[in-house]
Amino acid sequence: MAVLGDSGLPRDQGRRDALHHRERMRRKITDQLRERIGEEDIIAAGPEKRIRVPVKGTRQWRFILDRSLEEGIGGGDGEPGDVIGPPGGPTPGAGGAGLEPGEELYEVWLDMADVEEMLFSELELPRLKPKQQGGAQSPEVVFDDLARQGPRIDKRATLRENLARNARRGAARLGGIEKADLRFLSYRERPQPRHKAVIFLAMDVSGSMDATRKRMARLFFYWCVQFLRRRYDQTEIVFVAHTTVAREVTEEEFFDRAESGGTKVSSAFEEIERIQHERFPSDDWNVYALHVSDGDNFTADNHRALELIQGLTRVCALVGYLEVSPHSAPWERQGHKLLAFYEEHAAGLSGFAFAEAEDERALWPALKRFFAKDDVEAAVR
Amino acid sequence: MTAYSLADLQEIDDRCREIAAGQLGFDTAEVMYHLVAPDEVYFAAANGLPARYSSARWGAQFESEYGRYRAGQGRIYELIFNTRPVHAYLMQGNSLVAQTLVIAHCLGHGYVFETNHWLGGVDREIMPRVISAAERIADYMAAHGRDRVEDFLTACHAAAIHQPQAQLMHRAPAPEPEHRPRDYDELFEEEVVAERARMAAERDALRRRFPREPEQDLLRFIEHNARGLEDWQRDVLSIVRSEQSYFLPQLRTKLLNEGAAVLAHQEICQHLRLATDQYWEYEQLNASVVAPQPGQANPYSVGVELLREIMRIAVKPDDEERERWGWAGQADPFERVRTVLRSYDDEGLVREFLTPRVCERCRLYAFERTASQPRSIRVCTREADTIRDLLVRQHSTFGIPAIQIVDADFRGRGELLLEHRHDGVGLDPEYARGTLVEVARLWGKPCTVCTVRGRDTDKPVWFTGYADGTTDRRETQLGTG
Repeated sequence: MAVLGDSGLPRDQGRRDALHHRERMRRKITDQLRERIGEEDIIAAGPEKRIRVPVKGTRQWRFILDRSLEEGIGGGDGEPGDVIGPPGGPTPGAGGAGLEPGEELYEVWLDMADVEEMLFSELELPRLKPKQQGGAQSPEVVFDDLARQGPRIDKRATLRENLARNARRGAARLGGIEKADLRFLSYRERPQPRHKAVIFLAMDVSGSMDATRKRMARLFFYWCVQFLRRRYDQTEIVFVAHTTVAREVTEEEFFDRAESGGTKVSSAFEEIERIQHERFPSDDWNVYALHVSDGDNFTADNHRALELIQGLTRVCALVGYLEVSPHSAPWERQGHKLLAFYEEHAAGLSGFAFAEAEDERALWPALKRFFAKDDVEAAVR
Repeated sequence: MTAYSLADLQEIDDRCREIAAGQLGFDTAEVMYHLVAPDEVYFAAANGLPARYSSARWGAQFESEYGRYRAGQGRIYELIFNTRPVHAYLMQGNSLVAQTLVIAHCLGHGYVFETNHWLGGVDREIMPRVISAAERIADYMAAHGRDRVEDFLTACHAAAIHQPQAQLMHRAPAPEPEHRPRDYDELFEEEVVAERARMAAERDALRRRFPREPEQDLLRFIEHNARGLEDWQRDVLSIVRSEQSYFLPQLRTKLLNEGAAVLAHQEICQHLRLATDQYWEYEQLNASVVAPQPGQANPYSVGVELLREIMRIAVKPDDEERERWGWAGQADPFERVRTVLRSYDDEGLVREFLTPRVCERCRLYAFERTASQPRSIRVCTREADTIRDLLVRQHSTFGIPAIQIVDADFRGRGELLLEHRHDGVGLDPEYARGTLVEVARLWGKPCTVCTVRGRDTDKPVWFTGYADGTTDRRETQLGTG
């Protein structure tokens, strides 16, 4: 009998490999998105729009001869001198003599929602602590208890009991499991605490923040807000704009307003402290504060600002500072820049993180620094 | 149309086998046919072998090919593996006529698998090894993370094709220079001393060279000599290398193999006495198999026309052919074909039998790329001599550039230096860069290849790839430190 029905092979392997391929593609897209987070077309796309992402590195690399000089043999119509259009649309399958020029760039259409999900899956509010308030607590079922009877046996615990019982009898070995050894998984209902958080976004809107700097600051905050809204529906966001004085503004004002004037960074932190004190007691709220500036502060004010930050770190889970300094020349970084000051005086301050962005590509690393998912201590240094 | 049972297929197999043995003299060993669902056919086609190790690479191929099939843009009818016994997949849902054609087609393949010397060189008991390799790679994925193993596999796949083909001749290793005493040596004492010193230095340089002779087997060299590879990585290198070596003879005999299969299905189906509508359907299928393809020499049509040309020469040669081949005009046509199938590869077949008549019947032309429209081709000529030269060149290397390792301690830093032995055209810069990065990841240190710029064979160029994904291009050789 030479004709058989089945091949006897597992059927789902192909689909599984295809899924793995897709997952790897997705990761490559994510990698490239990270570099492109500051680029106009992604930011400008806004919600509901789609973007096109060319994905490099999906080709199967191998040595081939210079494609532009390829000669070959074809078949069909055509006289010497005739030009024949793209051969066969999608290149025919199994490569004849192994010469297949390979795929072009992949173009993937993504929803902004997808983009954000990809990006934000790596971010988290650090040091988020449960803050209990009110009775609205949803119980959560957790299997973390043991019982002497039940539906789901815990093999490890059972063996441990068996070993202990045998040891008590003088022979530390496994075997002879009796009913007394059996342990089962059991559940408890645990009240699920609410995570309540408030985040203060403070932006320097003084005259020294030129168009480029303002754009970077706004981009950074745009992504902060997108991230927070998407991931934490319970999070309050307070917008603070400052020049030499600071005041709370609405979201529209925050993103649209242009001002001029001097800079006094401490004013922003005074305002944050006041609002936090009045409306968001740290017993009930996880408090975060992020400040973006070009670092052009009155030197005399730097110490005052740092004092306030030190005060804030006692109530805040994180205070962050981002200095936007496009094309900063080496001499510009001396002296009066706020970042240099922090680097000198606040390097060891726990709960305070600072970063610098020279161009839009640095915004994503900065976001990751402030909203590091796992290693909070490392992020806060 | 699709209402047929396994017994029907068995009966077709029996009848086809009878005709194959009687008419063509193809006494093919038994072929094991499996009637399977389309996705399984496409997945096995993407893998190249059934039950092969899992990899996203196959997934990518499966997805694009199966997607094309479901969009109605292509259809694999059959899939056959050069194993012992020969296994072939028939796709469920194909009409009975299509299955008939495929079964007849497979008998041709089976005969070539059994008799051709190049294909006989492969390990046809490969399946147990393939299955064991798949299990080991699954273990490595579990132990070291799927991604790490996948990345490593990707790097291996980039270099896997570069291994020596079955060769009749091996180059003798370069002899060590040695001073031989000659007459009158004592008259020129100083010169002899200088000569001896020079040769000693040359000998030392030669002995320091590593590899001593250029090495064409990239993966094996890396497996044995790369530092810092873990055991599982060396195992993966050897798995990819040995599975790739199974495919190389098939690349070498593609025309021959497909030609024999098409010849078999054409001859068998002619003798099956199909009903008119069935015969009509068969003719349509056959025509689509051997139709000319714009940017590619269709291996089915070129293969079968070459074999038919041999059959014609065996029966009705012209005077010139009578002079050239002793057997011309006085041989049994199928006997001649069988002889060729036993001992030729594509290069030999094309070189000897690609006559103007074959070019005309397959409507072949030679083309080149145009600079202005990179995705288009321009027809250069329909002259048989040009076409033959080009096809011979393609089939002597199977389109794989000749790459060899010439220095494993390049620049004195343990880097890898590859040499592209070009035959007039340099490597594609973009692909060279991408590949070098992968090889650098295997080797653990930067990897450089020396090639030429396009057709400017007097202008060498060096590309270097680094494991972090960056690349360099230089037009002057760096000092070898």
